[in-house]
Amino acid sequence: MKCRRCRGPAVIDIRRHNAAFCRDCFLHHCREQVKRAIKDHQMIAPGDRVLVAVSGGKDSLALWDLLTDLEIEADGLYLGLGIGDYSDESGRHTREFAAARGRRLIEVDLRDDYGFDVPEAAAVTRRAPCGACGLSKRHLFNEVAHREGYDAVATGHNLDDEAAVLLGNVLRWETGYLGRQAPVLPAAPGFVRKVKPLIRLGEREMAAYCVLTGIDYQVDECPMAAGNRHLGLKEVLDGLEERSAGAKAAFLFGFYDRGREHFLDGAAEEREGLAPCPECGSPTTGTLCAFCTLRNRATGVEIPVELRVGPSPPTPVGRLPGDG
Amino acid sequence: MKVLLRNPRREIEVEGPITVVKLLQRLDINPETVLVIQGDTLVTRDARLADTDDIEIRPVTSGG
Repeated sequence: MKCRRCRGPAVIDIRRHNAAFCRDCFLHHCREQVKRAIKDHQMIAPGDRVLVAVSGGKDSLALWDLLTDLEIEADGLYLGLGIGDYSDESGRHTREFAAARGRRLIEVDLRDDYGFDVPEAAAVTRRAPCGACGLSKRHLFNEVAHREGYDAVATGHNLDDEAAVLLGNVLRWETGYLGRQAPVLPAAPGFVRKVKPLIRLGEREMAAYCVLTGIDYQVDECPMAAGNRHLGLKEVLDGLEERSAGAKAAFLFGFYDRGREHFLDGAAEEREGLAPCPECGSPTTGTLCAFCTLRNRATGVEIPVELRVGPSPPTPVGRLPGDG
Repeated sequence: MKVLLRNPRREIEVEGPITVVKLLQRLDINPETVLVIQGDTLVTRDARLADTDDIEIRPVTSGG
């Protein structure tokens, strides 16, 4: 195959674009897709300080690299999840990346800083580990960004991640989650703006970006994610994509353009009645926020009856990006 | 050729020469879910792999 831009030998083909690229033109393509996502959805303004949620995997390290390359002031936040050798390796990849580029890396460790880790939370609460992991990530990314004065949190959710989340929420008609699924979640009292600059790039492209730029990332899959629902949804979508190139992008971007607007009422209802959590101050629809409830249960803290989460918020059977 | 597979990590022998797309078909792998690395270079679906090549088939799908 020949590169679409320069006609040199190609190293990667992208069927949904009906194109193949050489190394340099592919890296150009990735930068252009990120620039377009940022511009189209007004994700990051000039001068914004951005905190990148970094896991040591391909998406978040590539995102950090791309934002830095685009001269956006981007620091990293790594969350130690306590998942044995997997977390040790992930942390190593992240620290080496930050050190090589001279970027600031903030580290939070669930065990050291909050007294529990993901395997323990999953065992004690009998929740799927990915649920406890996603909940902790969403809470702590926002809390640290808020505390440190960042303008936005950037996550490495790519086109495949977002399409799988969308499929999962459509299958259960989770109207509240559908209304909140967007490339940008604007800032609100207690909430830092959240942005997903990789939504125009698939995970195959992100892995290729890392290989071609020499980014040493955590290739192995999280042992706690094996067989989870998210992977099953991706398998279905990959099957569709192989039969019909562009199916995932059409599904996701069609939703952003023409579908999401029909679910905004459900999202607005969920933001009404938010009040500060009495333990951590984060906005919550319950009495105690979901993270503090999880932490108290995982660490064996008795929750006073008056602070127990009542019938709302509903059990999160749907998914938000980051739930695993 | 030696073919490295991941999750779990293992190595298998496949007879070459063979194209990338035929190799993936033989191993029942959806090309949308992997990168194929020949030595230290990415290769496209139409690339021809020699019997003496070291190949890695790297999954790209992550679970959360």
